[in-house]
Parts: sequence; C-alpha cells; structure tokens
Amino acid sequence: MREQLEQSRLRLYRVAYSWCSDRALSDDLVQETLSKALKSASQLRDPDRFNSWLFSIMANCWRDHFRNHQEMDDIDELEDYRCVHEVTPEDEHAQTQIVQRVRAAVGNLPVGQRQVLTLVDLEDFSYAEVASILGIPAGTVMSRLCRARQALKGMLLEFAPRQTAQVTRIRRVK
Amino acid sequence: MKTERAISDEFMNALVDDQLDSDEKDYALREANQNTEFRERVCELRALKEMVQHAYPQVADAPPRTRGRTSLRLSHLQSLAACFMLLMIGGTSGWLAHDISSPASDNQMVHSLRALQQNDFGIHPSKYVVHVDTANPIRLKTALDEAENLLTTAQDTSQPSQVEIIANGPGLDLLRTGISPFAQRIALMQKKYPGLDFMACGQTIRKLKEQGIVVELLPHTQVTPSALEQIITRRLKQNWAYIKV
Repeated sequence: MREQLEQSRLRLYRVAYSWCSDRALSDDLVQETLSKALKSASQLRDPDRFNSWLFSIMANCWRDHFRNHQEMDDIDELEDYRCVHEVTPEDEHAQTQIVQRVRAAVGNLPVGQRQVLTLVDLEDFSYAEVASILGIPAGTVMSRLCRARQALKGMLLEFAPRQTAQVTRIRRVK
Repeated sequence: MKTERAISDEFMNALVDDQLDSDEKDYALREANQNTEFRERVCELRALKEMVQHAYPQVADAPPRTRGRTSLRLSHLQSLAACFMLLMIGGTSGWLAHDISSPASDNQMVHSLRALQQNDFGIHPSKYVVHVDTANPIRLKTALDEAENLLTTAQDTSQPSQVEIIANGPGLDLLRTGISPFAQRIALMQKKYPGLDFMACGQTIRKLKEQGIVVELLPHTQVTPSALEQIITRRLKQNWAYIKV
C-alpha cells in the first residue's frame, strides 16, 4: 500500500496544483492525503477503487482546508479563490506562456467546477467516479462540467480571437 | 442519458469524455457525419480538454517534498506542448493568427506555423503527417482510414504521396505489438503503400519504460525522439500538411 501511494504522488500533485495553483499548498495537500490514506488503508475494501478512494480523500482534505478559512463558507458557492503565493522571476517568465494562460483560466473557475473538470480531464475519471469522489450527484457533475467548459471557452477565446481566413492545411479528423 | 437530448451540452461533453453507451455513440457518429455545427462543437470541446491536459503535463516537475524547494519550471517539452496546443486550436477553429507574447522559442515556432498557414507557396500537397494521441479505437481506425484515403487517392491519380502516422501518449497503443487492435491492417498497409511510415514517440516509450512497462513496437515502426518536435519543428517546417485525428 505504501508503495502504491507513493506512486500516486505525482498524479495527486498534478490535480492538487490544478485546484489551488499554489505549489506549497499542493504539496501540503498531497502529504496530508497520503498520510490519511495510509492511516485508513484498511477501509479500502475494493482494490479496484483505489484511485477514486484516494482522490476522494484529497477532495475531503481540500474541503477541510476551506473550512479552516473563515472567508470560505461553502465550497460549492465559491466563485474565485486565488491562493496568495510568492511571485518569483520564474513565475513572471512563465506568465507569458500559453500554459500559464490556460492555468489561469482554470484557476478562475469556481472551485466545484474546477474539481470536476480536472478530475475528468487530467485523471480520466468517469462521471460516476467523480460523483463518488466529490460526494455529489452525477447530474451535478455533468452540469458543472458543462459550465466549466463554457466558461473556459469564453476565457480562452479572449486570448485567441477567431481568425477570419480559411485554414486549409491543418485540420482535425473526428 | 437519452438520445433525445443528443444535442445538449451534456451530451456533447459526454461524447468528448467517452461517457456514452454504444447506441449514443452511434447516434453521435451519424450526427457528426451530417451536422457541421455538431462537428465544430465536438472540436471545440476536444480542444478545451487537450488544452487543460497540456497545461498540467503528466510529468509535472517532481512534486516538492519540502517547502522552499519547489519548482514548476516549464520545460522545453511543455513549451512545445503549448505550441502544439495552439496549433491544434488553429487547425480546428482558426485561432492561430492571434498575437501572443511568449519566449523566443515559442515565438519562433508560432511564427513558423503562422507563416505556413498564411503562405501557400511551397506546399507539398502530397505530404501529410497524421497525428494520433488517443487510444480510442474509433480514432485509431480513423487515422488509418484517413491515411489510406490519402494514399489511395494519390495512387489513383499517379501522384507520389507520403504519409507519416505519428503516435504519442495513449495513441502509442496503435503501434504496440500485442496491444494494437490494427496490427494486421498496419502490416498490410505497409506492404501496399511504400509512401507510408509509422512513427512512435520516443518520449512516450521512455515514460512507459520508467513505469516498468515493456514496449514492443510493430515491425518497421520508426522511433522519433519526440512526436511534437517531429511534427512542429520538422514536418510543418517542411510544409507537410497536418491532420489531427
């Protein structure tokens, strides 16, 4: 179990970072998740559900984090939470990059939408698994995902206005 | 989910996230064949999904174990991923011409792509790079169909043609012995079309090996150090047409 948990560290960190956009907080979140998972390992009855069990622990840790902050009353109602973090020259350099723009757009999503989006997109969880991890109905997963992608599209279109010229040489096959 | 709600946003998202059952997928495929708006919506959603994935790379820089030593440097690969993301969006939605401020390396590639897009001189209409980065069998099949269509058309018109199918990420499954659902078809295509090449991403292979996964490729599959570099810094600069499946 310990080894399996350690192997999940990168994936947990990736999702944690997409949730909070803060390296130190992501690190704390992952550490806390791994620690809690180790303590409650006996509660995992179905090994096939390891991933969703682990991410549900992290979702709870993330929820606890908000509860410990007075200004964050209800995770589902939060519209904009941006963790305060130091800005290094490295960060400033990265700000100009497209990756950072996408991260900023994801970071501007309401927390509930952000969680659903990243669990689906980064971890390939099914809608049912995400519902289980976050403890919400599957219909809510779907509606949050829709709203998240609509918002993301709006934010990223600002960075990338449509081109009027016909593009013929690069295409995508569906 | 009922197919009567087929055009709802929920249905479109479920399609992109591979959450539909087989009947719903059949419906979606029929719709995609007939409905341009439907295809555009799918394209946009796929683009958004891939943008998010590229923004948080799988091999994110090692997570910090202690505070004060954390780093989320954007590697060259990530820069490439960003450029690739732009390329993909440009291809699907015509967004490529927007003005961005990015480091020199990004600018250079974006400039190249933009130049390629805006200047049709020197295009090789018979050279195509087909990129597949998903293990979805439908899309793997589409990649092969697409390549075969191009090569058959070229043969019928006695035009020399060259098609390179490049697989990375989960798409590498297309070229893995014992895993590819199309190994036999690929072998037949290799015999039939001398202008067809299959190329596997070396970085994907390396990552799989790091996870202890043995990667055995189909016969005559070539390996490129990086799929994205092969596409962006080589083929597109050489005026090959790009097809994302």
